[in-house]
Amino acid sequence: MTGDDLQELTRGALEEIAGASDPDQLELVRRKYMARHGGLITAGAAALATVDGDGRAELGRAFNLAKSTVQQALHTRQLELASGGRAADAEREWLDLSHPGAGLDRGHQHPVARLVREIEDIMARLGYESVRGPEIEDDLHNFQLLNMPPEHPARDTHDTFYLAGAEAAWLFRTHTSPVQMRTMLSGRPPFRIIVPGKVARRDNPDPTHIPVFHQVEGLCVDRGVTVGDLKGTLEYLLRALFGPERKVRLRASFFPYTEPSLEADVACGICQGSGCRSCLGKGWMEILGSGMVHPQVLRNGGVDPEQFSGFAFGMGPDRIAVLRYGLPDVRELYENDLRLLEQF
Amino acid sequence: MRVSRNWLGDFLELEDIAPVRIAELLTMSGTEVERTLDVGRGLDQVVVGEVVDLARVEGSDHLFLARVRGGDEEPQDVVCGAGNLFVGALVPWARPGTTLPSGLEIGRRKIRGVVSNGMLCAADEVGLGSDHEGILLLPPANAGAGLPLSDLYPEDTVYELEILSNRADCLSHWGVARELAAVLDRPLREPDLRPVASSGQPLLNSLTVEIEDESVCPFYRADGFGGIPDRAAPHWMQRRLQAVGQRSVSGIVDVANYVLLDVGQPLHTFDLERLQAGGGHIRLGVRQARAGDRLRCLDGVDRALDPATLLITAGDRATAIAGVIGGQDSAVHEGTRELVLEAASFAWTSVRSTSRRLGLRTEASSRFERLLAPQLAPVGALRFARLLTDEIGGTLRPGPVEAGRMPASAGPIRVAAASISSLLGVPLTPERTAAALRRLQFTVSSEGPDLEVIPPAVRTDVREPVDLVEEVGRIIGYQEVPGTIPVMRRAPRAGAATAPAARLAADLAIGAGYTECITGSLVPSDLVSPVRGLGTGRTDLALANPLSTQLGALRSSLLPGLLSSCQLNQARGRDRVRLFEQGRVFWRVDGARPEEPELLALVDQDVEPDPDGSAERLLHLLRVCQGLGERLSLGETEFRPAEHSGFHPFRCAEIWSGGQTWGVLGELSPKALAQLELRGRVVAAELRTDGWLVPGGRPSLAPALTRTPALVLDLAVTVPERALLGEALAAVHERAIPWLERIWLLDQYQGSQVLAGRKGWTFRLRLRDPERTLTGHDGEVTRQRVLTCLRERVAAELR
Ligand SMILES: [Zn+2]
Repeated sequence: MTGDDLQELTRGALEEIAGASDPDQLELVRRKYMARHGGLITAGAAALATVDGDGRAELGRAFNLAKSTVQQALHTRQLELASGGRAADAEREWLDLSHPGAGLDRGHQHPVARLVREIEDIMARLGYESVRGPEIEDDLHNFQLLNMPPEHPARDTHDTFYLAGAEAAWLFRTHTSPVQMRTMLSGRPPFRIIVPGKVARRDNPDPTHIPVFHQVEGLCVDRGVTVGDLKGTLEYLLRALFGPERKVRLRASFFPYTEPSLEADVACGICQGSGCRSCLGKGWMEILGSGMVHPQVLRNGGVDPEQFSGFAFGMGPDRIAVLRYGLPDVRELYENDLRLLEQF
Repeated sequence: MRVSRNWLGDFLELEDIAPVRIAELLTMSGTEVERTLDVGRGLDQVVVGEVVDLARVEGSDHLFLARVRGGDEEPQDVVCGAGNLFVGALVPWARPGTTLPSGLEIGRRKIRGVVSNGMLCAADEVGLGSDHEGILLLPPANAGAGLPLSDLYPEDTVYELEILSNRADCLSHWGVARELAAVLDRPLREPDLRPVASSGQPLLNSLTVEIEDESVCPFYRADGFGGIPDRAAPHWMQRRLQAVGQRSVSGIVDVANYVLLDVGQPLHTFDLERLQAGGGHIRLGVRQARAGDRLRCLDGVDRALDPATLLITAGDRATAIAGVIGGQDSAVHEGTRELVLEAASFAWTSVRSTSRRLGLRTEASSRFERLLAPQLAPVGALRFARLLTDEIGGTLRPGPVEAGRMPASAGPIRVAAASISSLLGVPLTPERTAAALRRLQFTVSSEGPDLEVIPPAVRTDVREPVDLVEEVGRIIGYQEVPGTIPVMRRAPRAGAATAPAARLAADLAIGAGYTECITGSLVPSDLVSPVRGLGTGRTDLALANPLSTQLGALRSSLLPGLLSSCQLNQARGRDRVRLFEQGRVFWRVDGARPEEPELLALVDQDVEPDPDGSAERLLHLLRVCQGLGERLSLGETEFRPAEHSGFHPFRCAEIWSGGQTWGVLGELSPKALAQLELRGRVVAAELRTDGWLVPGGRPSLAPALTRTPALVLDLAVTVPERALLGEALAAVHERAIPWLERIWLLDQYQGSQVLAGRKGWTFRLRLRDPERTLTGHDGEVTRQRVLTCLRERVAAELR
């Protein structure tokens, strides 16, 4: 057998391997060419012994190559047939991958819960611990300790729900600030806390009011805390929430439990400060009330105002959600329509 | 409150400051500008028209045809719907071709077959106030037919202000001007308080005043005026009142209103003759109401007066509610020639509670209820005397009659200048600090490093050193304070960063396909929900003062709210609703603070379920609860079959851990679904998470990862139909069988292959020894041990 014969033989073997349409046929092909006794290629190799001279070594290498080529082809074809193989067979397993269908079967976080978490995480980076307090409060913690004695005019904006009957001494807290008092009364400064939670005011529901809503309160009490610290902290928080480029301004305000009191505005996201319909022409949106904790409030919390000072701030995640996600009506946040919730 | 820029100009120079800049300065210093309104803009095209003839439009019961003359040309017809016209009236006339300040273009129109040449305007139509009651009547003294309206109404800017509740001093033009003078660092022109000359009978001859309790009325001053003509207020005064939204009433009333808005002191005017009511001498009194006191008030309402009401009496008969509203019987009228002016100070608590009780808030009460300085009372009286005698006429009678005592001003506030600068966090010299306070009309003297500060009497809000920090801060401007982050000298509490259990639980529920909801904490007072989860057997705590019965009580379970969210989504076309909520509910505790457990509730509604679907969803829900326990609680979690109202009697379990029950789960009963108007099938769970789940979740431990091969074998048994898998597996785990690494159910079957009343279970067992490879014999021994255990606990038999 010459080298050309061998090449011819190999080509024939590869064609037959490719043509085998099931494992049985393939086995027949294997036997025909590669059977230990009488296979066309194996037999040829055995006959090498009869050749001598220079050509023998070269022909030997050619036979080894032919054997391994055919062996490899048999193996590949065997795998192909086992996995359902040929192009025609694969085609039967055609799959439409253009459309992901129902999507990942996951649930969604409520936008307000998401914002609360975001605020907690931002403040955690500044060392604020997230704490909770009771939603049912007494007059002492909700008002009196916070510089709002009975009949105080500031109570006008804190129209309060009281419990009936035997529980008449209790009210639904009107802000998260009582947790400031509870924290100060139960420990020693420094304090750095962030307090999310539900609060309630007796406002009739309308597109911007809902009787039970959320607040997030922050409190920092330490030696030498300044208005500058309040400003820096609020700027960090608000830029982290609204974007690093967003303009933030602090202006004078009044709360009975802080002095000085400041209100923080961020530039309107739609007009960037020039005034438009959504900000009622003001160019700014009120986001949060804040101030330096009033010395009397510190004293009420068992903290010596001669040694310590602090700031507090409070914001409404519902309102921020309305602004951020463009909701026309705050009540939609609590309808729990899945079409809304699934956006988060 | 509304203020006019022109009016503020009486008190300080503002001509060179742009209106928008004024708004910004006010807002930043604490007097927030809610709205800015242009007044008198674009009035040069509107002319003064004189009504020379007036007739009804034929076939209409409310339209009039006015013949209007504007200057020298021929009068023209204008159709008008307002009823306050008369022949000779001077009115704003927008002729065809005019564009009104609102942008409205006026043309010649045919109305009811009559040609109307333009229109006659109400105050709001020409941007001169909010009045739309009738056509604006122009004062004859100033208006001549044909003059452009802009001659009568110079341009002005009106600011709608939100005055902070502690700033009674800002409820006037004088007060707002004081703020502007401070932020602009400009001199303030104080109002003219020179007394006017008096003549005639001393007032004391006709009137005395007695205060029953000076703690509710520290000071009362009465001034008398005589010979007052029936004359309207001058045009400039009416114009200003109009600009800030007040209607012109009469000369006397307009002057009193003007003084109120000018310097902030509420005044009340009585007709002297009516006060006398036939008698001679008037005994004015200030006292609490008694049973039987009544008053017909200026608003026409006849009110029975609660004993907590503070009254002004004449001869012991109620004649006004102090600081709130006057009475009709003693009110001034066109015929008033002699009047008594009241300028008094009333305790804010009294006025506030009276005003709230009556549901009546007036210009006067809204000032008195905010701690108005008593020192304003004489200011108001002097301003009234000046304006009444100058602008209307009449004379002041000698000697005001006074009762009570003007409270002494508080002493100076002593403060270290350095403490102001250090609390603000901005370096300020004592000189700069003092200068900022002086800009606010504070008297400042320095004694070494300390400042002695006396605020003006009207600043009732400034009492202690910290109040001065605010004043300095807002006057130098917070934009000057550099933002810093407070130094943290002590680490936060260890463990503070651990994620709360609630957060981890929410993540787990969301990962399992449930969407987070927040429902209201307030529920209907008479909520009869068939499914109340952990609130079963409890009553919702009622509110004493609910907004409505729909929001009348505090929830005791999350499930009613969550199920109504299912209903909403079902109504909006969803066929599968999976929701969860985390939140507080409220449980009554006798004689103590209500308990506020933290709950987690989950629901899964399939509106059009296939027959086996609900079992599958219930088991999925169960696995979620199990996952919560495994991941977030310290103990083992067990599910024990239970009965619970609203749940399917054979598909309900309680969740137990550490010897306590923490929750309930199951499929809702068809009856409950029908009551809730929910279609399909619903599975639900409610768990208490506080106390059960721990922050950070269950601590993890690495197992020994032995390298010897595992031996895996199966065990097929039959058990009674109602045998509990949980019980079976718990029994095997309790036995701690050697080599048994894990056992799980591979398959469960019923039917022809097993006896009736029994079911088949095939378990797979994975065995391993840390030291050696297990043999078939080892496997057989283990299989027997497991079988023995199952036989004892769930009556298993080998199949
Ligand atoms: Zn805008």
